Amino acid sequence: MTEQTILPPEPVTNEAIAKRLFEDAKQKLAEGNVSKPKLVWLELNGCSGNIISLLNGQNPGFEYMITSMANLVYSNSLMIPEGNQALDRLFELLRSNEPFILAVEGAVSLKNNGMYQLVGSYDGKPLTGLQAAKMLGAKATHVIAVGACAVDGGPSAAKPNLSQSVGLQQVLERKIIKLPGCPCHPDWFLGTLSHLIAYGEPALDRRDRPLLFYSTLIHDRCPRLDYFHKGIFSKTLGEPYCLFKLGCRGPVTRVDCPTRRWNDHINWPIGASTCIGCSQFGFPDQMAPFISYETTEG
Amino acid sequence: MSNQQLVRQQMNTLFSEIQYLIRLLYVTQDPYMKNLTLNQLWNKVDQLQFLTQLEGSACPHTSAISPEVKTMPTALPMSAMPAQPQLPASASVPSQGMPQTQTTPSSQNPQQSFTREQLAQFDGRNGRPAYVAVKGIVYDVTNNAAWSAASHFGLSAGKDLTQEFASCHAGEQWILSTLTPVGRLID
Repeated sequence: MTEQTILPPEPVTNEAIAKRLFEDAKQKLAEGNVSKPKLVWLELNGCSGNIISLLNGQNPGFEYMITSMANLVYSNSLMIPEGNQALDRLFELLRSNEPFILAVEGAVSLKNNGMYQLVGSYDGKPLTGLQAAKMLGAKATHVIAVGACAVDGGPSAAKPNLSQSVGLQQVLERKIIKLPGCPCHPDWFLGTLSHLIAYGEPALDRRDRPLLFYSTLIHDRCPRLDYFHKGIFSKTLGEPYCLFKLGCRGPVTRVDCPTRRWNDHINWPIGASTCIGCSQFGFPDQMAPFISYETTEG
Repeated sequence: MSNQQLVRQQMNTLFSEIQYLIRLLYVTQDPYMKNLTLNQLWNKVDQLQFLTQLEGSACPHTSAISPEVKTMPTALPMSAMPAQPQLPASASVPSQGMPQTQTTPSSQNPQQSFTREQLAQFDGRNGRPAYVAVKGIVYDVTNNAAWSAASHFGLSAGKDLTQEFASCHAGEQWILSTLTPVGRLID
């Protein structure tokens, strides 16, 4: 084989891919090839963790997302108007019949006809999360379920589930793009949104998760994988070996955490503890126990 | 040759193999060949990572670091060995053997019969192996990746899970052939 200098291909790190996707969308928006879509961020029964996670986004940053990429019409955590003024925005959008993308975080509470979780009150009447989800979900061009609760109930639907919470799909008969995770990584949402704007719906798996982010089994790309193959297991969380015996859910969880990592791509759960399977359907009840010390011998 | 030298030697071999595979990727046209090469590359990098981590953690008790010594523990006999409670950190290296507690019955005979009560003892807790039964066959899932902490999507070991398997893995009978059978379930 001849020895010659080979230039590396374009960078394929997660940051580089996210950046390219974002630059593409930015260019298309600037050229006027695509229009800035309206975005509604509906918060149902949950902890607001996904919107907080989103604020940590890069490529694009959150500020760019809400100013130049999409037109954020409604987000109860972030908007200045409140009460009727805030809900007016929602109802005006519905009346105008303009296309919009709906992002939903949190589970839908069914108990007492949805009265266990209210979005607000309009003209003195309560607007339940259940009503809002059905009303907006029926009209949106795309619906994105962001985080474990919106996808299949998540922690909100954990036993004993007093509010009878369910995932968004149970009350909406339509295609929903699902981004499980507790919380959802900002890249997973921003990447999906960029893809929707620039190229339309991304390729999804059988459970409607974008393959772009959800095609890797954590276990397969785990930096501790070789210890698993060689049967070397940690007995405490401080040890650097495979965490399988302690209850790691990496082998049943499909998402790109090992290569993407969190908090500006610097660390992730396996860095210090087990994977608790937060991006797998059935989290958290079906992923328990998160840690167990009374387990099988190595 | 010291352990460190041995690790270094293996790392150098891996580096040259990786370089070779990268060059190979550039000349290969066939997509299947490419995928195969990428897969090999992935494995090599994994091994390299393992060796660097091993070097970093420097286990003093490993007498020889050769890949042959370290196989998946499922392949090791389950014969009763002295119980070693409270093992030090370095003892989790398998060259010291896979400790099994004396309280667990030997279970290598595939013809062994289990009643439901006997099966319930293999719940994967406190050092006991994790067994589950599907359609009358008892399987060992102690070191099955999907059964960490002897639990799987809210199910625990030591039970007959025929119904659960049928409801979640219909049409996926191949899963059973990847498990190690250890006996039969009798009523």
